[in-house]
Amino acid sequence: VKMVPLEQLHLSHVLQAVSALESIVLRSFGPEGGQVLFTRDTGQVMVSRSGKRILTALHLDHPLARMVVRCVWKHSTITGDGSKTFVLLLASLLRIIHATATKDPHMFQPHNSTEASEAATARHLADRLLEFALTELDKLIVLNVLPHGFRVSLENFTAKTQHDLSCQTLLVSFFRTRLGYAYCDFFRNLFCELLSHWKVKDDRPSFSMQFLNNSFLALHTQVSGVPVSCSRLIEGQVIHRDFATPCPQVRKQPLKAVVFNGYLQPKLLTTGDVLELRCGDKVTEDRGIVHFSSWTEKSVESIIATLQSFGVSVLLCALKQSSAVLAAATQAGMCLVECVSEEEISLFTQLSGVTPISDCRRIHPEHIATLTFCKPLLLGAHRYVHLDFHDCEERLKVKPCSLVICAPSEGQADQHACAFQDAFRMLLTALEPVRKTQTALEETIPSKKCTSLHADNISNGTACRVHLHQKCVTETGCVISAGGTFEFLLHHALHQYGHSCSVSVNTSAVVPVSQLLEKALLSVPRQIYSHNLKHFLQAQTRNGNMSLKLLDLGLESVSCKYQLVLAVLQCLTNLLRINMVLRTHAVLHTESHDSLNAHSFMIPMSH
Amino acid sequence: MHIASYLSSLMQMSRLVKKSPSVCTDLPLNSSDVCNKLRLMKELLKSSYGPTARLKQVHNNIGGAVVTTSTSSVLLQAISSSHPIVSLIKGSILNHVSRFSDCGLFASVFCLSLIEEAGRCDLSKNVIIRVNKHLLSLCTAHLQQEDCGCKVQLDFCSSQSLITLARSVISSKPTCVLSEPESAHISRLAVQAFLLTVPCNIPDKVRLGRTVTIPMEGHSVLESAVFPGLLLDTPENISLGNLCSPLRMVLFSASLAGDLSELGDGRIEVHQGVDTDSQIVDQLLELGKQVLKDEVKLFVCQKVIHPVLQHYLRCNGVIVIERLGISLMEPLIQLTGAQPVATLHTTVPWEAYGEVHVSVRPFGSKTKLHLHPAGKTTICTMILCHRNETMLSELKLVCQKTEHVLRLTLREPCALLGGGCTETHLAAYVRHQSKNDVSESSPVLGCSQTEYLLAAEAFCRSLESVATSLEHDDGASLIDLTHAHHWTLPSDATEEHLEDAAALCGCGVVQSCQNKKWSYLNTEYAEFSPEPLLTASPLQPTVLDSFTAKVNALEVAVETANLVLDVRYVIQDVN
Repeated sequence: VKMVPLEQLHLSHVLQAVSALESIVLRSFGPEGGQVLFTRDTGQVMVSRSGKRILTALHLDHPLARMVVRCVWKHSTITGDGSKTFVLLLASLLRIIHATATKDPHMFQPHNSTEASEAATARHLADRLLEFALTELDKLIVLNVLPHGFRVSLENFTAKTQHDLSCQTLLVSFFRTRLGYAYCDFFRNLFCELLSHWKVKDDRPSFSMQFLNNSFLALHTQVSGVPVSCSRLIEGQVIHRDFATPCPQVRKQPLKAVVFNGYLQPKLLTTGDVLELRCGDKVTEDRGIVHFSSWTEKSVESIIATLQSFGVSVLLCALKQSSAVLAAATQAGMCLVECVSEEEISLFTQLSGVTPISDCRRIHPEHIATLTFCKPLLLGAHRYVHLDFHDCEERLKVKPCSLVICAPSEGQADQHACAFQDAFRMLLTALEPVRKTQTALEETIPSKKCTSLHADNISNGTACRVHLHQKCVTETGCVISAGGTFEFLLHHALHQYGHSCSVSVNTSAVVPVSQLLEKALLSVPRQIYSHNLKHFLQAQTRNGNMSLKLLDLGLESVSCKYQLVLAVLQCLTNLLRINMVLRTHAVLHTESHDSLNAHSFMIPMSH
Repeated sequence: MHIASYLSSLMQMSRLVKKSPSVCTDLPLNSSDVCNKLRLMKELLKSSYGPTARLKQVHNNIGGAVVTTSTSSVLLQAISSSHPIVSLIKGSILNHVSRFSDCGLFASVFCLSLIEEAGRCDLSKNVIIRVNKHLLSLCTAHLQQEDCGCKVQLDFCSSQSLITLARSVISSKPTCVLSEPESAHISRLAVQAFLLTVPCNIPDKVRLGRTVTIPMEGHSVLESAVFPGLLLDTPENISLGNLCSPLRMVLFSASLAGDLSELGDGRIEVHQGVDTDSQIVDQLLELGKQVLKDEVKLFVCQKVIHPVLQHYLRCNGVIVIERLGISLMEPLIQLTGAQPVATLHTTVPWEAYGEVHVSVRPFGSKTKLHLHPAGKTTICTMILCHRNETMLSELKLVCQKTEHVLRLTLREPCALLGGGCTETHLAAYVRHQSKNDVSESSPVLGCSQTEYLLAAEAFCRSLESVATSLEHDDGASLIDLTHAHHWTLPSDATEEHLEDAAALCGCGVVQSCQNKKWSYLNTEYAEFSPEPLLTASPLQPTVLDSFTAKVNALEVAVETANLVLDVRYVIQDVN
């Protein structure tokens, strides 16, 4: 490994890198935003409006840009939303810090070079900003933003009645940012239908949401070549494999099924074993090598016979089975499915309540699942196995169903599937599970009262009340009208806060950091209304009286937004702590200089 | 500009080999380069559309086979995508074609026209997308209605409408170079083969059989034929003289070449003097003895049979067929009722044997072994003949597509009028409806009434341009102002002579008469509601399109166009 000269990082470099990312993300941001189209080096075409996917699809070389993308990725993997706003806010903050630092570089400590002092100022500002956000932001949100929002709970999503539209609107707004106007209503309905099927009766609603999020891979099937409107729910589970044996048409019901982890035909010689064939041996007289292979075939027959005695007719195997096994299963009239993926086996075992068998000779009744049907299902170009569980409604209190996502092209189907998965994440963040100690408190405050209580709070403003509502930010599904309302309200709150600070402290030398965030926040609604400045001004002036009337703007979750601001500030602090990039070249082939691989290390500042 | 140049430096890939940076295009539909590419693609596909299409020759730069075609699936695959938007459209259409086998060119021409028209009218892309979606649902709802003017119910009591449907598919592929009687013959064969694969006694679930196609080069198309059952290549000097039908047969899926595969990963050490080969051959002969004892007369193996075993069986009067291949296994199992045997060491169970009638059928210079079952079967073989290889391969492709299209009629037993009449009818219907519902629809779609009407006009013009694409000989395309059917006027005739020049409309249902009014397509005409045809019309449609395929193509085209219109930024990995 050889070292190359150090590369000093200036504030302007950081700003440049983040601005470049911002320029890409902006194309799909806001109501006038559209899709970003990608091609991979494999020729695969991908479309997306999700900031996370757009940014991760870029092959970035710049270490700072890669670091930002990693932060965005981390944030949106948890919350499922807000990746574009993340980049926007970060760029805006950097711009403001850059402007402040260049205007007054020697604000904190004198340095010998202008660049170094600029960097020090920027770093100092970022640190203070994070510190401020960690201590003050939640209080500000509780006092100034929550009173304009309202609460939703998961029960509302699955309710058939139309009177509470807020949850539906929250989902529609989410799908609109991801899939555009054309399909947001369609996917909202599909999403609600899926949730109501999987809703576990008398259980915490977020439990089923968590389950759906975790097993989404096994629960959905993408079909290309058919219109989006063909997307639907189908009962039971789809195993994304075809039958390895011909599946007999008429069957008695219910069916018995078994899951296998290993090979049904025993491997005679495992790696390292040696079979010696000697002349004149006892074994050889007994027809030698032929004897061995006939023994394995006999053992397959005995396993199939045991399965038949239990009445098993469906075998799901994780591994590829030998042709002898397939033939034996065919002759016994059993359906066999090979190479079933781990996720699908895990979902199957969870829904059927059985455990997979690893040793075929030990089969017990608890290994045997009961199915109502098991038949081939043609979806697009592929034939899959479609099955349903016998007594799921009694056992698990859910009606299992799978999602079929259709689109003309693969890229679009994939985009829709990603949006679905992120909708789960977004809702989980918005409606975080209520901690046990708080449940009693929650129940005493109905959702409508909550709003008025907040209003009281502003006038009283006692510390203990604030503490009570502080929990609300992270615990309840508080939502607020979209279209920059959160940013306007927080901007307003920060403005007042900054004003009160400057009056009380009265030190003009120190820039109140809240002002930086205050200015930066406005960049988000400015981009939303970038096509219509009049709307921006209208929205800004009406921010005081936001109400349910503005449902047409859509809704967004306050807790997602709160986490977003914190994540951006953390990313900012991390970015500004770096002062140098060290490029090291790992030499892979000593003779060739073309195949040098550049690794970059970033050195945090020492002071 | 500053940002763009900086971006490219950001996008250096960090892999083992330095890769070239991605190419980014901002607002691709505004760039003339992209528009030119799309226009070129549209012209290419447009000129390949319909029965009088201009053929395309595809050949690569390294001397591969030259393909002559006008089929969308072959053409689109041959277009090496120079731009991601092109490959996005290409991918969608190819997916549609692989599911429905028909209307690929319709979908691509319509999709590209929609994109082009959207570029022409000065509206926000979001408005166009929303209006397109609304008009699409208007179209599909209209097509699903019982009394839709461009829909024909298929009558399964007579094969006439099925043959018309098959013939429309076959004649839309001019690469096959078929004369009138030839295309009629192939259409009849396609319908015959399709009907043979539909089971007669239906249990609880319909399971269609299979048509195995055997291409034969150098014969006349009229010698093509369909047989129930399977035709296999005969082994040399076969005599069926002393064999009484039906024959008992056995089918092996395991290799009988004398290899042992399922022993595992361990090592085998063979000491001197041990003859494993002869042990295995002995085992194979043991199998042969058992089969002979069970009076098997036909011995078929998917893979290779050891020569010793082959010789032994032949000497004992058994017909031996090896290397059948995986594709014929399933039809043979269905035909004979045999179960494939995969084990060598256990005795073949009695249930695994199947029964089949065997006869020898001479075909040109070759003789084929004809296997047909005692009772009904859903397996049939189609022998396709044509003069040269290119035409034959296109004919085979067309027959497979026809079979698929015919199968789709089982799902929805109706068809749409062909010859451009469905397109002109839909355009007239949409134009009329959009004028009527402009006051209700425009606020729902969030646009002004003018915007709505402009976008609807673009949609209708795109539909009409598909109908216009059917004409390649400089003729004019017209629409009649009563039924909204499509008419073509040869280039040497004028509008006054239309009654004489075009006696029938594109699909052949409407006859021209004195008091009919026509208007050129792509010119302005007063909107009107297309009148339904009289049910007692003496004329049967001569051109029919698959209903299922066309409705899907319509939806795929609009959805793909909407997706393309929504693209604001393109990042292209050029490595």
